[in-house]
Amino acid sequence: MKRKFISVLLCAAMIMTMLAGCGGGGSTEGGSAEGGSGDGVTLDIIISQYGNYTQDWWTEFEKNFEEANEGIDLNIEIVSWNDIYSVVNTRISSDEQPDILNISGFADYVADDLLMPAEDYVSDELKANFIPSFWESNDMDGTIWAIPILASCRALFCNMELLKKAGVENPPATWDEVLAACKAIQEEYGSDIVPWGLDISTDEGQAAFSYYTWNFGGGFVDENGDWDLNSEENVKAVEFIKQLYEAKVCNSAPFTDTRYPLQDAFSAGTLAMMIGPMNMVASDSEVDYVVADLPGEKIPLGVCDQLMAFKDEEAGEARTEAITKFFDAFYECETYSDYMVYEGFLPATQDASDNLATNAEKYKVGGSDDATGDSEYFKTFCAVLPTCQFYPMQKAEWMDVRNGVIDVEQQVCEGTASAQEALDKLQESVAK
Amino acid sequence: MKKKTLTVVQPYVWLLPSVVLMVGMILIPIISVFKISFSEVGRSGLVRGLNGVQNYLDIFDEPVFWHTLQNTVVWTVVVVGVSTVFGFILAMVLNQDFRGRKFVRAVVIFPWATALVIQSVIWKYIINADYGSLNILLKKIGLIKGFVNWTETANSMFGWECWVGIFVTFPFVTFCVLSGLQSIDTSLYESAAVDGASFWQKHFKITLPLVAPSLTVSTVLNIIYVFNSFPIVWTISKGAPADQTHTLVTYLYQLSFTDGKGGHAAAVSVIGFVVLAVCASIYMILSLRGEEES
Amino acid sequence: MTSRRKPWQTALLYAFVVVLCVVILYPYFVMFITALKDKKEMYAIDHILPEVWRWSNFAEIWSAAPVFKYLINSLTVAGGATLLAIICGIPAAYALARMRFKGKGIFMGAVIMSQMFSPVVLLVGIYRMMVNIHLNNTILGLILLNAAFNQAFAIWLLRGTFVGISPEMEQAAKIDGCGTVKALVKVLLPMAAPGIITTLIFVFINAWNEYTIALTLISTDILKPMTVGINVFYGFNFIQWQYLFATSLFATLPVVALFLMIEKHLVAGLTSGGVKG
Repeated sequence: MKRKFISVLLCAAMIMTMLAGCGGGGSTEGGSAEGGSGDGVTLDIIISQYGNYTQDWWTEFEKNFEEANEGIDLNIEIVSWNDIYSVVNTRISSDEQPDILNISGFADYVADDLLMPAEDYVSDELKANFIPSFWESNDMDGTIWAIPILASCRALFCNMELLKKAGVENPPATWDEVLAACKAIQEEYGSDIVPWGLDISTDEGQAAFSYYTWNFGGGFVDENGDWDLNSEENVKAVEFIKQLYEAKVCNSAPFTDTRYPLQDAFSAGTLAMMIGPMNMVASDSEVDYVVADLPGEKIPLGVCDQLMAFKDEEAGEARTEAITKFFDAFYECETYSDYMVYEGFLPATQDASDNLATNAEKYKVGGSDDATGDSEYFKTFCAVLPTCQFYPMQKAEWMDVRNGVIDVEQQVCEGTASAQEALDKLQESVAK
Repeated sequence: MKKKTLTVVQPYVWLLPSVVLMVGMILIPIISVFKISFSEVGRSGLVRGLNGVQNYLDIFDEPVFWHTLQNTVVWTVVVVGVSTVFGFILAMVLNQDFRGRKFVRAVVIFPWATALVIQSVIWKYIINADYGSLNILLKKIGLIKGFVNWTETANSMFGWECWVGIFVTFPFVTFCVLSGLQSIDTSLYESAAVDGASFWQKHFKITLPLVAPSLTVSTVLNIIYVFNSFPIVWTISKGAPADQTHTLVTYLYQLSFTDGKGGHAAAVSVIGFVVLAVCASIYMILSLRGEEES
Repeated sequence: MTSRRKPWQTALLYAFVVVLCVVILYPYFVMFITALKDKKEMYAIDHILPEVWRWSNFAEIWSAAPVFKYLINSLTVAGGATLLAIICGIPAAYALARMRFKGKGIFMGAVIMSQMFSPVVLLVGIYRMMVNIHLNNTILGLILLNAAFNQAFAIWLLRGTFVGISPEMEQAAKIDGCGTVKALVKVLLPMAAPGIITTLIFVFINAWNEYTIALTLISTDILKPMTVGINVFYGFNFIQWQYLFATSLFATLPVVALFLMIEKHLVAGLTSGGVKG
């Protein structure tokens, strides 16, 4: 009996050791700078996935950077937009924040005192190189907390072939014309063509809110910068969204359709008009389209994502220096211009804007063997950028407002609340 | 003396590997979720310190929570209920001898063997009103004239989610019941036939009691899995429109990761746990009692 | 139940079965034809079948993303978790089936309770713990977690199987001089084979299909299992439906094949598990 007992014990011990052994030495990846082994510094970096080939570009960048900077080890992770908030959130609650993060929005991290002020790690030359309005857009209570990685702006895309066949000669310039054009298309094609693309999903419904409210003369804030969500113009704008939905001139499931399938449908020629980012049409699309101003007030939405560096009390100067080096290398004119063309976005630095306005053909588009940048395109859109408005991301309540306006749009379209009621309620909850 | 200690200790040694695994991987996270539910959590995910039952009070004040709780009950009852009934009927059919039975059994395995994320993506693609293949197909056949918007209201959206839930759940019931059916001695039916029992009598008097244990297993497991199911609702609607189609699990995921309310999310998890635990305890008591009697 | 059917019953049976198969196979049909379409046809609404059959899509996925690597990762995670769950589960189930000891009821209760929390609920806790033991972003971490979250089912099912087998054979073996362990391995396990196989499959499938833990835990692309890896086709600007579905088919087929191979055992196994839950 004793022998058997011992063998059982051995079995159990074996499994225990196996488990314990795993616990001890299993990890090869993911260790952050905590150890500070020797003089090397490891930077954990999270980058958002902007396209299908984002990973490749950063792998190359990592290789070049590590060769040029001995002692600095980059651990770059590409995370899709679908998951990035959950990944970052979980990391922070586990006290495992990255060193550098590329995301949209920074106020929440400032509120929890997690970020380093940008002045602490951005070199003077780089600071001078940022386009001033972009640099200042990350100002919260007098301190700059993040730096702009890239920008994009939204415009109205119209499939002219479809429009002309329905008797509409020009892209609509007012909201009434939008409705009229939609109805003409609906009459001409029935359910074969969707006249207007609408995305009020939790993915990016706040973009729709800004397209319509700004161009009806309203917006998120009043002239003093205070929340002003239930203005008369905003009510009109939200009612207009409902009108599009009820007239069945937009895609059938705006609550769940994100921008991406709509863009694909536009590129495929089955969606006639939508508001989207300037790089939304697939490069191999055969659609005959024009890019027009947004209807009404003609205010385009500018979207500007950020890079930010997290605090690490225990790490020393070496880490901050490594971060500075990382940004200097990334924003270096050639590298940065290459990345902008690669992903199809607009640069936030002066020298890259100038460079791309003439030399964009030098750089390749991501995932393609022959497609290059188009200088004309950069020239046009870089000029539009100053007229863009941005989300009030530097306000502490931004995330609540963002989720709130999406909720309002969905409630109003579904008919559970009127635009006035829903907006009043939101304003009340935000302003209190 | 030694021998006696041995027999006393032995069972625990046998349990040890399993206990180590479960304590290490499940208990520790459970404890941390309980702790977070009583803590204030910043929007970024940072845990700031204890704040008593504030998270629970906030959640109880939230109409969406109550609606979600109601949805979760409907979701669990409908998906498990329909799957169980349908899965049971299908098992009876598959227990018949007919040509092509092997093929049908193989087909029934498909929904079970496909990852839920993939199932959800494909169904979302199928029911899309503007380019989804269901509308195209029905129009080709001539059943509909124009495209139908399958997910126009919150209820229809939720209905489709239940459909997908049933679609992936019933095969498990079918196979559980099939296994029960195969152990039934066919002579029971023959003697019943001799006694002049009707078709229905045979099934209620003989089949049902004999497959009851298999049904219980599948029902209890399904209740737990369906209650906690995440990918279907998250992929298809993310709770839209206006948070009307959430279940507790997707709701807490949204609270935690898009609304930045980690503390509230943890409170919702604990509430969900309590609801399930109460149900399971009732089941445990009943089944243990049953075991003692037999 | 091989009693003779009336013709109308046979007709009804076949009608039912045919409708069922059509409904079940429909999504897979859609997946298949979509996987074969050209990207431009994805939003075409006037035809169901592809105009151009792009068989090359199936070849392209392997270079569009490290799909092969994802497949290997999924196999490793599911295989490892299954093995571990069974190795830990068999002794526990044996103790619960054959021995009397204090706290048995409590242990059984705790096992079921552990199944009440879904991994989604515990995500933050899991992640934090894995960071502490340096197993975040490792395949090993996924194996341990999947094994743990399937322990309850494994123990439950195996215990049911063991209870259903009369202890007389083992006692006979013990009288012949076998120890408890030897009796278990030589006598009980072979008899419990169907139940063990069922458990294996169930755990394998659960681990193969697991999504949320892997999503949060794994950050390095080449360590991702299939379910998470296919997200690359959900890029920032485009959804590559054709690749997504082509890859999905590859992710589904191994499991279906596995099932088909052992379906017989599966059905036999679930019975014994169910006899005494």
